[in-house]
Amino acid sequence: MKWLDRFTEESVRAVARRSSRRSLLAGIGALFVGAAALPLLPVARGAEAKPAPGKKPGGGTADPGDPSACDYWRHCAIDGFLCGCCGGTQATCPPGTEMSAITWIGTCHNPGDGKDYVISYNDCCGKTSCGRCFCNRNERDTPLYQPGQSNDYNWCAGSSQSNIPYHCSTARIVGAAE
Amino acid sequence: MIVGTALAAAVLSVSGAGKAGAALPPDVGATKTVESLPSPPGKHWLWVNDFVFPHMTDGTVHLLDGDSGKYLGLLSVGSSFSHVILPRDGKLVYSPEIYFSRGTRGTRTDVVTIYDTSTLKVVGEIGIPPKRVSSVPTSGNAELTDDDRFLLIYNFTPAQSVSVVDTMSRSFVGEVETPGCAFAFASGPRSFFGMCADASFLAVDLDDSGHAVRQTRTDALFDGAHDPVAEHPVRIGNTWYYVSFDGRIHPIRKSGASFVAEPAWPLTTAAERRAGWRPGGVQQLAIHAGLGRLYVIMHQGGRETHKDPGKSIWVYDLASHRRVQTISAAHPLVSIKASTDDQPLLFAIVAESNVIDVYAPTTGKLLRSIKDVGTTPSLIVTTP
Repeated sequence: MKWLDRFTEESVRAVARRSSRRSLLAGIGALFVGAAALPLLPVARGAEAKPAPGKKPGGGTADPGDPSACDYWRHCAIDGFLCGCCGGTQATCPPGTEMSAITWIGTCHNPGDGKDYVISYNDCCGKTSCGRCFCNRNERDTPLYQPGQSNDYNWCAGSSQSNIPYHCSTARIVGAAE
Repeated sequence: MIVGTALAAAVLSVSGAGKAGAALPPDVGATKTVESLPSPPGKHWLWVNDFVFPHMTDGTVHLLDGDSGKYLGLLSVGSSFSHVILPRDGKLVYSPEIYFSRGTRGTRTDVVTIYDTSTLKVVGEIGIPPKRVSSVPTSGNAELTDDDRFLLIYNFTPAQSVSVVDTMSRSFVGEVETPGCAFAFASGPRSFFGMCADASFLAVDLDDSGHAVRQTRTDALFDGAHDPVAEHPVRIGNTWYYVSFDGRIHPIRKSGASFVAEPAWPLTTAAERRAGWRPGGVQQLAIHAGLGRLYVIMHQGGRETHKDPGKSIWVYDLASHRRVQTISAAHPLVSIKASTDDQPLLFAIVAESNVIDVYAPTTGKLLRSIKDVGTTPSLIVTTP
């Protein structure tokens, strides 16, 4: 199991969480048609997510840190393989994969400008797991029965638009949190 | 023919080379070419479920003998696997599996595959809707009703429902919509429950054909906003024990057709909480009904470490709620499970490894470590 050794070397908080990980978050909410008692949960549509105005993703003082590192600020609630290590970036999927249409959104603090941002952790789907740069951080993560804030769901599965295998996870800025 | 001739020549050559004593008997030509296992399965066998995170289309289940540490065999269980479910007679294994027609692409097909526990061969297959949840493995993703008649499978698309499968007719019965509620925990011969986002429970009663006849929604049974419970409970009879992120045990008891919360109790003293002690891991609780003991994986850390492994197993007397034993684990652990017999073993998955540790729960002694068990083992299932 040499991959595990590599895992441990390459990822900051690596595993342990191997178990807890896998994830990919959730989003949901409005999709629970007919759920009278269900609280509405945040839903992000990745294709519609746009970088915040004036922000240059992936480096520089406005967006500090290494997007391929687990401790990069946008990864505060991610759980999966970082797409930036898999041929994509923190905002785009690797070639030949497909971005999940729906996912969970979290809120992370950007030390570069002191603001909180809403982050959409869209999964990239359609190939087997990338296996590189595993990262699991659980700020404000909730259990699976509270899917809107749980990073343990696989968003490549289930959705009728991308009912295919999980490859890696992005961390896309939706906008500044108010 | 050529091969046969060469083989005969080779055998002559070998027999002629012997100097003293009888030659070893030939393996070739023996009637037994494939191993089989005793039936029913041993009480100290464990099924280690591995969703193989680095290549999730190749899920596996590893069958081990906890007494000898021997590796007994493997099941290949498809993509994004969670866990197998064992009926009480021990003769079969039910495995909810996902396949794609071209390996990683093409049409998704979901089935419940049925294996024989003595041959580990497929003996049946039941088609189910391609909706089964794909998540970090957890026991509530699928369970059998208490009489083993119906298999209950949690769906998440992300609309939430439960697929009901009749194990007697080996057929899919139908779906029960469970909006806002996750999992399919069996709670009787004809009932199950889900856990809802607002910390309430959804109780569902089935008729003898497996169709839902009643749904009852409770009030919130714990503080889901400030101190939610982890997904994985342990059960004795009609009581399910959950542990919260901050380390409180919440006993939830079935009462009639619904559920009630018994008084919660803390695992830790105020001083221990100040020192950061809290539960963590995946299968972070284990229980043994006969001993009346609850086992909890503990570590020190902040709120966001609720999934972290622990090197300490704290043991509680369920009657008094007192900690009666502390097991210092040899390795950090993510999952634990006790066998159900009266001479139990405590099985554990070591974090950041594919090692399974076996402990004597009463003494806390590490009996053996079983290495090279899959890739990312996550949940342990034992013989009921």
